[in-house]
Amino acid sequence: MVKRFYFLILVVAFLWAGSSHGADTAQTMNQTMLPGKSRSVAASSSVQENKVGTGDARTSAADRESPDEEAVDEEEEEGEEEEEGEVSISDPLESFNRAMFQFNDRLYFWVVKPVAQGYSKVVPESGRSSVKNFFSNLGFPKRFVSCLFQADFGSAATELGRFVVNTVWGVGGLLDPAANKELGLQKQDADIGQTLGIYGLGHGFYIVWPVFGPSSLRDTVDIAGEYFQSPFTYADPWYVGPSVRAYEGVNSASLRIGDYEALKEAAIDPYVALRNAYAQYRQNMVKKKEKRETPAPGGAKPSQRIFQ
Amino acid sequence: MAKINPGTIILSVFMMMVLCVPAFAGGPFGPPQPLAKDSGGLRTAVGYWYHEDKFDNGADHVIRQNQVYSEVAYGAGKAWEVYGRVGVSSIEIEDALSSARPSTTSSKSDFEDNWKFFGTLGAKGFYPFNETFGVGAFVQGTYFFRDADDNVSGMTGGAPYTMELRLTDLWDVNFGIGFQATLWRDAKLYAGPYVCYAEAQVSPAPAMSGVRLGSGDTTLQNKTNVGGFMGIDVPIAKGFRLNVEGQYSERFSAGAAITLVY
Repeated sequence: MVKRFYFLILVVAFLWAGSSHGADTAQTMNQTMLPGKSRSVAASSSVQENKVGTGDARTSAADRESPDEEAVDEEEEEGEEEEEGEVSISDPLESFNRAMFQFNDRLYFWVVKPVAQGYSKVVPESGRSSVKNFFSNLGFPKRFVSCLFQADFGSAATELGRFVVNTVWGVGGLLDPAANKELGLQKQDADIGQTLGIYGLGHGFYIVWPVFGPSSLRDTVDIAGEYFQSPFTYADPWYVGPSVRAYEGVNSASLRIGDYEALKEAAIDPYVALRNAYAQYRQNMVKKKEKRETPAPGGAKPSQRIFQ
Repeated sequence: MAKINPGTIILSVFMMMVLCVPAFAGGPFGPPQPLAKDSGGLRTAVGYWYHEDKFDNGADHVIRQNQVYSEVAYGAGKAWEVYGRVGVSSIEIEDALSSARPSTTSSKSDFEDNWKFFGTLGAKGFYPFNETFGVGAFVQGTYFFRDADDNVSGMTGGAPYTMELRLTDLWDVNFGIGFQATLWRDAKLYAGPYVCYAEAQVSPAPAMSGVRLGSGDTTLQNKTNVGGFMGIDVPIAKGFRLNVEGQYSERFSAGAAITLVY
């Protein structure tokens, strides 16, 4: 157990050290590891750390005529990019990621979706929503601690209030009375990856994990954090935890069948589309928190709902 | 809202309490009028209930319970509601393990066990006479899913013994009629009579005739079957309400719950 924590601390320290080098390090890593293969997903956002696009899509600093022109060009680019709302993410492991994307794609279409469809035929939507509420309620520690680390005490208090109300009056979290009109305690989307982002840590690079799906080096910490904070991790016998997580995944998938399909159908390259959507979604989460903006209810795009 | 004569209410409640004879019951009944929204909706509650009563098995035994529960209800039109309740309870039976003979000694006299899981199901309907007064009826049943047990040791006829007393299949069913007056700011005062039947199986292992409830397998039943209840339900804030209720039978039982309507 102690070893696991040491490992986690080492990963965080590693990421932190990486972030201190900013965009240059990320770009160097990108070029060094997979020269020419790394894709620029799109033009980068206003956050400099994430400017890691290379090659075709970007004009390198060496090609620029003067520093002034460079600055003007950059500003123009940023303006256009902000309008489009696109964000880039380095992808030095693209071949591996594409393989994992294919694996996850098959896993979804061959296993998860059929099971989720069968499950949704047996369990009505209200029941599945209650299960989702239950697991969401169990995710309180992660959100609460993340809000505290973000010094967002108002959101932490909201999360605490939600947890108490939903646990006590929501039948152990199966219902979500805290979100009703009178109480108005909305779920705070806060996680460890977002917290690290607020402290200036960049994505690192894009990585697609088997089963867990799209992530980044930074957000991988969140997967680990989620693992440790889940009470089912410590359940005995050992297979209770994975079984519950699998059930949670199926239940969650049953409530958004069609979102992934829509994204895939609309995209020329679904892998790139998903990567863009992921980077944008995560970037927006960080930016919204930085601005202390409350996301509008139901404001997420279908492509963003995939990651929620 | 029509003007209420407090004297009439107090007299009515007093008459009901006096006329009612003791009963055994297992939890609050709540206001006769369902609290869920007109269009249909949920209501949840958490509460504490202290229960005290007597059952008869040749000799009277007082039973005490401290119940903590969570309740969920669905209703509509302020006219009907179905509800379920789950909780845990302590159980104590006075003098269940005390010595019944001079030749027998026992290490303890009361049967005690804690954290017994129980469930309750109920339904109620309400008919309003006008904006202020109305009458409702309910039926409610409780079952303890887990057996309760306790051990006693001592000497009988000069020989040592250890006995386990197990309480199984503790259940009750209640039916009642409640009269309700809606007061200022939607506070609801209510009272009414009810009938109840409750029983439990007692099994000693091994049988020990020198211990009061240890002589053999037996069925315990509540001593009397009717009682009276009275309570008030007041809104607090943001959909929360406080319900305080008392029931009188051979002994007095009472509890409070905080309800959230949404």
